[in-house]
Amino acid sequence: MADLLSIEATINGRHVTKNADPSQRALDFLRDDLNMTGTKEGCGAGECGTCSIFVDGALVKSCLLPVAKLKGKTVDTVEGLAKSGEMSAVQKAFHKAGASQCGYCIPGMVMAATAALRLNPDADRDEIRERLGGNICRCTGYQKIFDAVEMARDFLNGKLSANAFDDLDQEEGKYIGVNVRRIDAPSKVTGALRYAGDMVLPGMLHVQVLRSPHPHARIMSIDTNDAEAVPGVEGIVTSADVPGQDGFGVFVADQPIMARDKVRYVGEQIAAVAAETLSAAREAIKKIKVEYELLPAIFDPDEAMAAGAPVVHDYAQDNLVKHIPIRNGDVEEGFAQSDVIVEQTYETQQVEHAYLETEAGLAYVDHDGVVTVHSPSQNITHHRHMLSRILNLPINKIRMIMSPVGGGFGGKEDMIYQGMLALLAMKTRRPVRLVFTREESIATTAKRHPSRTSYKMGLSKDGKIIAAQIRMVYDGGAYGMSTEGVIRKGAILGGGPYNIPHFQIDTYGVYTNNTPSGAFRAFGSLQSQFATESHLDLCAERLGMDPFELRLKNVMHTGDRTHTKHILNSCSMEQVLVAARDASRWEAGAPNVRGDTRSDLGGEGTRRPCTVTPRGPISAEAEPLKQRGAA
Amino acid sequence: MLTCDTYLSPGSLNEALAAVAASAGHFRFVAGATDLLPWAREGRAGDVHVPLMIDIAGVPELKAIKVQGNRLWLGAATPFQRFLDRTDLIEAAPGMPDCAIWFADSQIRESATIGGNIINASPAADGIPPLLAANAIVELAALRDGGIRRRRMPLSEFLKGPGLTAAEHDEILLGVECDALPGYGGAFEKVGHRRSLVISVVCLSALVRMDASRRSFQDVRLAIGGVGPVAQRMTAIEERLKGQPVSAELLRDVMAVCDGFIKSRSRQDYRKQVTPGFLVRALAKAMKTAGANENACAIAEEVAHG
Repeated sequence: MADLLSIEATINGRHVTKNADPSQRALDFLRDDLNMTGTKEGCGAGECGTCSIFVDGALVKSCLLPVAKLKGKTVDTVEGLAKSGEMSAVQKAFHKAGASQCGYCIPGMVMAATAALRLNPDADRDEIRERLGGNICRCTGYQKIFDAVEMARDFLNGKLSANAFDDLDQEEGKYIGVNVRRIDAPSKVTGALRYAGDMVLPGMLHVQVLRSPHPHARIMSIDTNDAEAVPGVEGIVTSADVPGQDGFGVFVADQPIMARDKVRYVGEQIAAVAAETLSAAREAIKKIKVEYELLPAIFDPDEAMAAGAPVVHDYAQDNLVKHIPIRNGDVEEGFAQSDVIVEQTYETQQVEHAYLETEAGLAYVDHDGVVTVHSPSQNITHHRHMLSRILNLPINKIRMIMSPVGGGFGGKEDMIYQGMLALLAMKTRRPVRLVFTREESIATTAKRHPSRTSYKMGLSKDGKIIAAQIRMVYDGGAYGMSTEGVIRKGAILGGGPYNIPHFQIDTYGVYTNNTPSGAFRAFGSLQSQFATESHLDLCAERLGMDPFELRLKNVMHTGDRTHTKHILNSCSMEQVLVAARDASRWEAGAPNVRGDTRSDLGGEGTRRPCTVTPRGPISAEAEPLKQRGAA
Repeated sequence: MLTCDTYLSPGSLNEALAAVAASAGHFRFVAGATDLLPWAREGRAGDVHVPLMIDIAGVPELKAIKVQGNRLWLGAATPFQRFLDRTDLIEAAPGMPDCAIWFADSQIRESATIGGNIINASPAADGIPPLLAANAIVELAALRDGGIRRRRMPLSEFLKGPGLTAAEHDEILLGVECDALPGYGGAFEKVGHRRSLVISVVCLSALVRMDASRRSFQDVRLAIGGVGPVAQRMTAIEERLKGQPVSAELLRDVMAVCDGFIKSRSRQDYRKQVTPGFLVRALAKAMKTAGANENACAIAEEVAHG
């Protein structure tokens, strides 16, 4: 048993005396013991800055700070900035500038901005950038955040009027083309908003998950006896606990709540434990014994489609999730008419969504027996329907509540953990909560589909595209998830916004033993756009033509018909290309005729290389910073 | 997840060593904790249970910073941020501010200590090259035969390899004694995937003193990290430059011999490509802050950007 530490500290101006577990980090102490959840955990490794707090006036990352280091200190958290409910200048500026989107990074950003302006009330944009360098945002692209810090700086320096943060100049009832306040921003800039991992209920248990170390293996047995015996363990579930028809997915219900009979990728969930404490749950996980019979695994989608490849799902002996063929015109005839034929293969890799909020959920069975799951799901209605079937409960006994989504980008569309939480809530009859670690989130959740695209394009000498033949293989990983939709989108958008008289595309979604691929912004078209646009540059090179000119010769206009017989009622592609060409000060010419000699590099609006020099200590004669600064 | 039964924050060296003596060896020292906590996570050490954590960051000798004549004492618990906000340190340790501004981020610099950076002994540790350039000598203390044994050795001998030092398990790194180098110009060059929170692929520290003419190098100290198992001084290049007037030919000569320092297991070509540029850019910057003559600075700038 641990020797508890007595922590006496001043936190947001209040004296606090509390015994703390010595294993806690300052972050755990604030969140778990003091229920101050404005300070977030995004990575637990000091990389993301969602947990920034002031300790004796210096901003630090509370996930890297043992709780003992708070003894006798003065601590300020995001909750302490908005004294008496009045937001600080920095918080108001974040609200006004529209700097918060999902909001998960925002408490840390507000803290870092506050620190920057306290240290240098006149910090310029480059200094603000450097001082916020320890904080990551995935939604905004940072510009709105830097705008907000500059706005707060100017306000505090008296360069903006006292009513600078008042309502925007917005016409009554007009929303399109004007700046509109985000009504949820105050809750985000103050840290008041509770994401799923911030929620607690009395009697709540902590969930941890046992995951497969193998890419493909038969599960011979699962022995949970030793794990059940760990003090504090209240329930363990495996696929054997699923009462209804197991299986979920957006297009094909091929994924069990937890691995059934076999595992298909490294990181697949096998069992979940609910215990009184997180450490008891983690200890129990280590005591679950699983016997595996290893199976040959397949990692390359082209190899997976070949005869004799290991089969990932029995129902799909060819490992094919879906094949989408589209034909328009006659490509062979088109190639015969072409002056130039260009062929190339393109590959793209897995991409992690990297939302700042990792997957988290809180589930319980309410007084009416309604199984209730709070989670940042991007698809609650679909999840509710699937869970009804899986749990064998009428739909009115299932309730999915969408908690604030701390970044999704498609990565939170699949119901990968909500089912386990529902089962554990039903089994223990207690509220249960699971929060993924960053490592768990990266290693086990769906990614952008890796792709391999073989492209063949035929063109006339003057740059008209006559035919294109495209074969795209998308690695769907171990489960179907959104693959069918992704490859359909790839087929629909594969040729890009260009008129191609003879067009043929085949997209394939393939099962492998890789981490499943799922929804991700642009949903399958990014892969094909990458191939198409790269290919057009190669064609321009071959034709000795300017790449903008080549595109403008083939671009679709209003009234044109796509290869899926879609008549475009509106198409602004030409204006977009011209605007991009002009804004980039593009120097006309074929891609391969210029190198170091091109004149359109650098110049106004070009980001300078990343440099940084020490600024030297702030002069002691300067005004007391805290009075002048953002407070 | 790092767990412990007991977390002690001793207020003196005696107390810290007494805690070590009472522990039967099952303990870990903690200072800034910025390497320790990420280490005990999935993919690295996983869940780690340490019965006793001994937080030595509050031990007065480790917190001390002293400039005496031409010697500088840096207590092991000195956070990197102090090299940016203490004027006495900026003057005595001109190689450190540029290193500090590239080190992790402003928040981690408030916690992370130079002692931790040394003990962690990463081949890419940013803090080590400027300390090597300042001829740092480490001082260690442990209980031996009923008394405190203190010993010293050059930092270059203390570092043994990736994650390896000459420290014994129960020895506390008290700090480093360095040359105080007022009048020197310092520079630090680093490249990684991004600016903040990034492990150096190459990092290079330069310290330069010009002679009375302000056209010739009087002293040059160079150290490079990230390119082999331990950071190292670039002694051959230092010797080539010392006493020489600055010329484009001289600088191009030394740029041409950087390859020999690249002993990494991976990405050798990339490192060979960036190092000569880093060397001459760092020299140019250090010359400027050392007050080199304008013409000499212009020559170095031109070679650096040419």
